[in-house]
Amino acid sequence: MNEKWSGARARYEAAPVPEELNFAVAAAVRAGGRERKRRRVVRRSLATLASCCACFVLLVNVSPVFARAVYEMPVLGSLARVVTVTQYAIEDKDHLIDVRLPALENTGNTDLEQRINLEIQTRINGVLAEAEDRARQTREAYMATGGVEEDFIPIIISVDYEIKCQNERCLSFILTKTETIASAYTEIYCYNIDLETGKELTLQDVLGPGYREIANAAVRTEIDRRIREEGAGYFDGTDGVEGFQSVTDGQLFYINEGGNPVVLFEKYEIAPGYMGTQEFEIAR
Amino acid sequence: MEKPTRSTYQLLVDHIVSGQADFYRLAFSYVKNRDAALDVVQEAVVKALSKADSLREPAYLKTWFYRILLNESMNYFRRSRGLLSFDEALDDRPAPCPDPGERLDLYDAIERLSPQEQTVIRLRFFEDLKLEEIARATGTNLNTVKSRLYKSLKKLRDLTGEELYDDE
Repeated sequence: MNEKWSGARARYEAAPVPEELNFAVAAAVRAGGRERKRRRVVRRSLATLASCCACFVLLVNVSPVFARAVYEMPVLGSLARVVTVTQYAIEDKDHLIDVRLPALENTGNTDLEQRINLEIQTRINGVLAEAEDRARQTREAYMATGGVEEDFIPIIISVDYEIKCQNERCLSFILTKTETIASAYTEIYCYNIDLETGKELTLQDVLGPGYREIANAAVRTEIDRRIREEGAGYFDGTDGVEGFQSVTDGQLFYINEGGNPVVLFEKYEIAPGYMGTQEFEIAR
Repeated sequence: MEKPTRSTYQLLVDHIVSGQADFYRLAFSYVKNRDAALDVVQEAVVKALSKADSLREPAYLKTWFYRILLNESMNYFRRSRGLLSFDEALDDRPAPCPDPGERLDLYDAIERLSPQEQTVIRLRFFEDLKLEEIARATGTNLNTVKSRLYKSLKKLRDLTGEELYDDE
């Protein structure tokens, strides 16, 4: 290669590589591995159906009994459990949609079940309708500005849940909606249910009246430790971006298997995007 | 015997981790912003690993990952263009008729090319890919790559006033 190219190449290679790259790539490798496992499970269960999606969606929507029969996922035997009532995948030019919707059953409290299930349904239906709308608009804008059909990358929407804790007394699960256009954005909804009273738990119920101080102290200590030991980065008020201040009344959290609350902060909430969703366990 | 999918996955992880600085630079050359480039690399890594099982041929691993990374970069690039203010958009626009007396440094001249041409130049001269590899990484055929390379070199000659060629 002649010297003109080596000069330009030297400038290209002189672009500084930020320290956080290592951390960012390691985090992405973990996330990618998890996502791959999840996909495999979905693919396998879809393969067992081996029927056309449209027909499947129709059946599921028309007959929840059918859906339950196919996708029943017992987690608690005859006790309260979370089951998948709807699962479907749609793949077309605009978007790839992958949905697994949970519902409660056998909590011994039908009012509670109905209320939570209805809330999950309406919330997700709204979110999906919005996302599909956005997908269509993005595509139209893309085509109108001279984009080539084959180059358009469909928007990926996926809805899934994860059960965090299940026992006789409490049930905790989170629901996530991820929309990937260029970068992925995930919205998280948490459900923590006290099965004895049938109420949704707040952080105050779990940690007591001093919950703010307890949670704030735990989060701050852990942030400091991650910065020191793992080279993590958090917003700290420089550049005018405020970092972690305090947990809030509507703080997102779930209850883990050990019975401890884990508070959640969405991507960009208290740290730069490459840090992803931040979780902090608070020991009781 | 080890299952092929498992080892392909491991190869991919190794490839990503060992080449991370290169991938970051390539992403940065499109998005021109540190945080955005970190984001693009992360998205590409997550996407690649989650789809690792669809990569049948380990020999194509390198170009396969480049393709995902380039797609992510272009997506970001396209989208951020839509968000530029009008003045910025004007600044960014290649000069309508370059002053024949103006002589740009080669590196700056590359920025004046179309995104597709920039890709061919960067992969060829900065990442040392062969033309067939560039074709796979960009999802085009070899002749398209050749003609893009030829056109880009001609444009760069006009912009820099230097004789440039590809040794291959």
